[in-house]
Amino acid sequence: MMNRGILQALQKIYPADRLLTRDVELLPYESDALTAFNAKPGAVVLPVNEEEIIDTVRLCHQLALPFVARGSGTSLSGGSLPIPEGLTIGLNRLNRIKKIDPLQRIAVVEPGVINLHITEAAQPYGLYYAPDPSSQSICTIGGNIAFNSGGAHCLKYGMTSNHVLAMKVVLADGTVTRFGGESVDGVGIGPDLVGLFVGSEGLFGIALEITVRLMPQPELYQTVLAAYDDLGRAGDAVSMVVASGLLPGAMEIMDRLAIKAAEASVSAGYPDAEALLIVELEGEALQVEAEFEQLLGIIEKSSAIEVRVAQNEEERTRIWKGRKGAFSAVGRLSPDYIVQDGVVPRSRLGEALVEIGALKDKYQLDVANVFHAGDGNLHPLILYDGREAGALERAEALAGEILALCISLGGSITGEHGIGMEKRDYLPAMFSEEEIDIMEGLRRAIDPNEIANRGKMFPGGEAPALSQHGVHPLERAGLISRE
Amino acid sequence: MTMYAPRSVTELQALVLDSERIHVIGNGSKPALHCAVNGAAIVDLSGMSGIIEYQPAEYTATVRAGAPVRELSAALREKGQYLPFDPLLPEAATIGGTVASNLSGSRRFRYGGVRDFILGAQVVDGEGRAFGVGGKVVKNSAGFDLSKFLVGSMGKYAIMTELTFKVFPDVPRFRSLGFHYEELEEALSAIYFINQSAYELDALDLAPPSVHPINRGKKNGNWMLLARLAGFDDTLPRRVERFTAAMTRDTATIRVEELHDSAALWNPLADLTGEFLVKVVIPPKQLPAFDALIAHNRRRYSVGGNIAWAATDDIAQLDTALTSCGLTGLCLSGAVDSALIGVPIDNALAERVKQVLDPLGKLV
Ligand SMILES: Cc1cc2nc3c(=O)[nH]c(=O)nc-3n(C[C@H](O)[C@H](O)[C@H](O)COP(=O)(O)OP(=O)(O)OC[C@H]3O[C@@H](n4cnc5c(N)ncnc54)[C@H](O)[C@@H]3O)c2cc1C
Repeated sequence: MMNRGILQALQKIYPADRLLTRDVELLPYESDALTAFNAKPGAVVLPVNEEEIIDTVRLCHQLALPFVARGSGTSLSGGSLPIPEGLTIGLNRLNRIKKIDPLQRIAVVEPGVINLHITEAAQPYGLYYAPDPSSQSICTIGGNIAFNSGGAHCLKYGMTSNHVLAMKVVLADGTVTRFGGESVDGVGIGPDLVGLFVGSEGLFGIALEITVRLMPQPELYQTVLAAYDDLGRAGDAVSMVVASGLLPGAMEIMDRLAIKAAEASVSAGYPDAEALLIVELEGEALQVEAEFEQLLGIIEKSSAIEVRVAQNEEERTRIWKGRKGAFSAVGRLSPDYIVQDGVVPRSRLGEALVEIGALKDKYQLDVANVFHAGDGNLHPLILYDGREAGALERAEALAGEILALCISLGGSITGEHGIGMEKRDYLPAMFSEEEIDIMEGLRRAIDPNEIANRGKMFPGGEAPALSQHGVHPLERAGLISRE
Repeated sequence: MTMYAPRSVTELQALVLDSERIHVIGNGSKPALHCAVNGAAIVDLSGMSGIIEYQPAEYTATVRAGAPVRELSAALREKGQYLPFDPLLPEAATIGGTVASNLSGSRRFRYGGVRDFILGAQVVDGEGRAFGVGGKVVKNSAGFDLSKFLVGSMGKYAIMTELTFKVFPDVPRFRSLGFHYEELEEALSAIYFINQSAYELDALDLAPPSVHPINRGKKNGNWMLLARLAGFDDTLPRRVERFTAAMTRDTATIRVEELHDSAALWNPLADLTGEFLVKVVIPPKQLPAFDALIAHNRRRYSVGGNIAWAATDDIAQLDTALTSCGLTGLCLSGAVDSALIGVPIDNALAERVKQVLDPLGKLV
């Protein structure tokens, strides 16, 4: 329960129905999609406009009250996990698309707007919002900004950061500032502040208004699904595609366990194989058709055991449905899972997968692999049963070894899910003490009280409780399902 | 004015620690960025040059900041790859200078600018600390993304010594077309049409009457929309045909012509002579209002009308025009007190970075 004085101050900003303090009301906010952790916030506020957010952040700064901004709580790294006894600022009600300007190809949105809603609003103009995390029908732009979220289609046109042109933000000390503009050059002159803010994991402050660029819908997609009897061969096929000079919109791989899960959940009709590779070309029809012929030639030489070409939009959708639903599908195979998000240089994917195979034997846990092969971004899903004593700890130890592996191969511990709460102890494996010092210094220069998302990204600090086992609180409350 | 040419990071660190004020130049290709640095030690990074690592299969390249752009471009070309942000001064600039000033040419239109292709950097900050930001793989979201912050940072926050980029495969063939319009508004409508269409252009620039060599000399010349398509031999001709047909579907276009595709044609600065050369970041919708104020100047609207390049002998007049349109400009050549003109930038967040990386204000 929060201190009376603080509550009274919050009551000046929020009516009772948007200031949640009772246990039952707080329950849905206790964790995010990293369900192994939970913490009880002191209170949750639900602002409906940016003035309320600004007032709240200023109040938090004054009182040195830790806060965490929350979109839809789908973070896989514990980024939106509440700070025990701190304030959770729920942004879902700031969900207005303020402007779609098809001529300049931009949209101006509030932070709580759902990723997919931008594309839906842009569709009538033949435009779309490119970054497509698998969670796009539920996650918010604010959350995407915090993690620089990506998706299957980020190979060619980049991740969230590459699609944000301007922002208005309130920094953690209450300063309101704007950067960037409606030109596609974004900030263009002076340091790229959009680039700095995106990926700051909620530690700099809260994004209040975001201008994103829209892209014209490609005239044609051509999608091929190739099956392999060996994961390594699928990886080799990726290298061959890259070497050919083609630039696909997406290149994704799933291994046997992930295929099995996807089959069980959405009946994508995938072939029975050790590995599946999805490659998609997109763009001007004439160009795509010619390139697709070249691509099929490469796939043919890649010792695929089966090759399927999506003949129409329906077949394409089905291929993607299995891939995009893979995370949640794996959830059906196992009561609990941890998703890792390490990156390795593309040419070392094969090595990484062999190592992960060995590690899963060592820890006697199942690991399903679904990954963005085009940019070397792995997503091993480590399956465990939280009810089994020591299973979570084993899963975490395995996860840690995978991260160490990614670094030793010259990669990164996270490609798109962020450090959050989960990987903060691994930050020193990637950055020197001095580099972390500098980042922490920057954090303090913006947020002297270290109130914004305290306990995340940087090693140390108080840790929320590790729970034995659990589904997402929203799921428990019947608000979302894993479909 | 003292000039230093450090040859290693250690030498550079020592130099920063020993100096009160430091100013970095790459190759000095943008003289206006080096104004108002009187008394500062000038650091020439051309001694820290060379490609460190280029992995075509990874689409990544790491180079020292003092390396000439042309050296990296040549290495990439050999493997059929390129820097999609299209360094503005491919012959004269260094890589570090291109990043620090964030200058992209017309091909930025296709895939994005410097910020979209920088992956990481090694820097020396105002405290003399040498450290890394970002990473070396094409995807990485660990830690704050200070590498993007360096884009456009003008050497005022940290000195870049090494840079890692994402690169892309290039295509072998190009065709360039010129569409003539009597009025800016008509040309702008054509840009809007392209914006909402699925035609994938490699570059799209707008040249005002009497500025482009092709228009020059003719009285009452037209606005010329320059469009470039890139691709492979087998489909390019048909794509050009389709695009041309779509662009001339109504009568607004007076004339279309095929232009000789050359580096000169796609150098947005090619014909911009004047004492001062200025980059302006501009939303296309503001072009008519802005152009009306600077119509007597040589100018070109590049990257689909999102970046304006203007040459002028009267910087005060341009400054006034920018201010009245709510725009900011970056002066690249000519003697100015400050390279930034027009509306000042809200620097609240950048100042925090300055406090951390250069609290003594050494880097100018
Ligand atoms: C099934 C599933 C599939 C997923 N697939 C992908 C994928 O393909 N690619 C991918 O990248 N991610 C994926 N994710 C992870 C997750 O969806 C993304 O990280 C997403 O961006 C989080 O959005 P959110 O609205 O749920 O944010 P939250 O979880 O609520 O918050 C995430 C972080 O953002 C901060 N934040 C929220 N709003 C703001 C704001 N306005 N200003 C500043 N900070 C803010 C929070 O403080 C927190 O640190 C997946 C998750 C799930 C559950």
